Amino acid sequence: MDFGKYIGGREDVMLDKRKIRLMTRAAIYEKNYGEEDFKISSYYKKDYSSLNTWVTLIWITVGYGLAVAVLFLGWGEAAMEGITLAKLFVFAAVAIGAYVSLLIAYGIGAGSFYKNKHIKAKQRVKKYLRDLSRIEKINNKKEIN
Amino acid sequence: MSTLLVWREKLQRIYALYSIYIQKGLQFVTGLVLFWVINSNIGFMKPASSVFCTLGLAVICTFLPMTITVLAATALILAHFYALSLPIALVALVIFILMYIFYFRFTPKKAWLVLISGLAFSLKIPFVIPIAFGLLGSPVWIVPASCGIITYYMTDYVKVSAAALKEADASGIAANLMSFTKQVLASKEMWLMVMAVTIGILVVNFVRTRGVDHSWKIASAAGAAVTVVVSAAGNIVLSTNISYIEIILSAVLGAVTGLVLELLFFSVDYSRTENIQFEDDEYYYYVKAVPKVGVAVPEKKVKRITENQPQETTVIREDADLNNINTENDADDILLTRSLSKELGLEKQRPE
Repeated sequence: MDFGKYIGGREDVMLDKRKIRLMTRAAIYEKNYGEEDFKISSYYKKDYSSLNTWVTLIWITVGYGLAVAVLFLGWGEAAMEGITLAKLFVFAAVAIGAYVSLLIAYGIGAGSFYKNKHIKAKQRVKKYLRDLSRIEKINNKKEIN
Repeated sequence: MSTLLVWREKLQRIYALYSIYIQKGLQFVTGLVLFWVINSNIGFMKPASSVFCTLGLAVICTFLPMTITVLAATALILAHFYALSLPIALVALVIFILMYIFYFRFTPKKAWLVLISGLAFSLKIPFVIPIAFGLLGSPVWIVPASCGIITYYMTDYVKVSAAALKEADASGIAANLMSFTKQVLASKEMWLMVMAVTIGILVVNFVRTRGVDHSWKIASAAGAAVTVVVSAAGNIVLSTNISYIEIILSAVLGAVTGLVLELLFFSVDYSRTENIQFEDDEYYYYVKAVPKVGVAVPEKKVKRITENQPQETTVIREDADLNNINTENDADDILLTRSLSKELGLEKQRPE
């Protein structure tokens, strides 16, 4: 038996350094990322990414509506003075153009962001499970000994 | 320099020992300063602006994540605005929701950066932000910095125009609402500051990520210079009332902050830089390797005299030796002794 990896003064309280390291790492992971990562990794990457992209687009629509409302509150009266049909069309075109650009930008950005998030979460979960299996192996080895 | 490095090591050791208390202490101080700044500037709701509430919120937020502090600060601002005028509170709420939708949904854990940015502006040290954010973060940190600036100017406008905004009749409320929205969103000073901070962060981050020697120092100096130039030029062109003393002092403080951050997070020895060139089948590699400077905290030798045999043991003290090495000479002596012992192979193996 390799006594170098054990710590502790008496033989009956010898602690396995490697096991302590693995368990600490697993506990830190559980504390910081665990819950969210398990939730994320329960989805397929494409499902997770597209679901969240759609949610983002809905939020952006709400946000855009609110932003337009606030802008209208500040400058609506001035903009509406002497309004003509042509001006109205220009305003509508600008508003729709800005909305579509925002949707495209956030759609692309959110898609890539959530894909990366899923990949990272999966990698962390994989590492965590590997640590757990190592801990289990150490336990089994001890039981046999 | 070596004294500073020894101090850094000592600080790191103290932090490692008492990290939980230090973190909670910092969180408490941040919360206290934040709620005190909010209450002293826009304390329209008397119960919420009491010392009891300020202290209570700071204590509660100490034991919760920083995101909760951000939410508590938002709720406090809205409560004060509501006490002044409901429509003003609604517009402010919409602005906060917009910040959430467009940025903080993605990185809620970075929401505390807004607090830091807003606090720096409240404490009249705005240009510490571009340098600190540019050195420690990425260009994306422009967004929370800008949100902090917008929040600061919104509360500042309400503070200045409180009497005018507290209009009772319906037409007055509508006029105030429009004026508030216009003033908040079209404030020249606010956008000038957003511009200065944005350019500052971009410049600092750009220089910091270059492979030049002393990039952190150059970045800090460049950031300070750029923010001063942009804000001073904007001040003249837009006829805003930003104090030049504030601009210069905060830029100088920003540069000093940059040096402190460099010492804490990026200590390297440029004199030992190695430029290496090699190749594989596909590429030529030109690698610049700059060694980190690491100084161990000096050890204390404890001589144990026992009945059997005198023994000399090297012990690394965890707390008591921190006051021993104070002068530069001491630190230099210890460093010299260590490097010599290492070279001559005399260094004792530390007992487990």
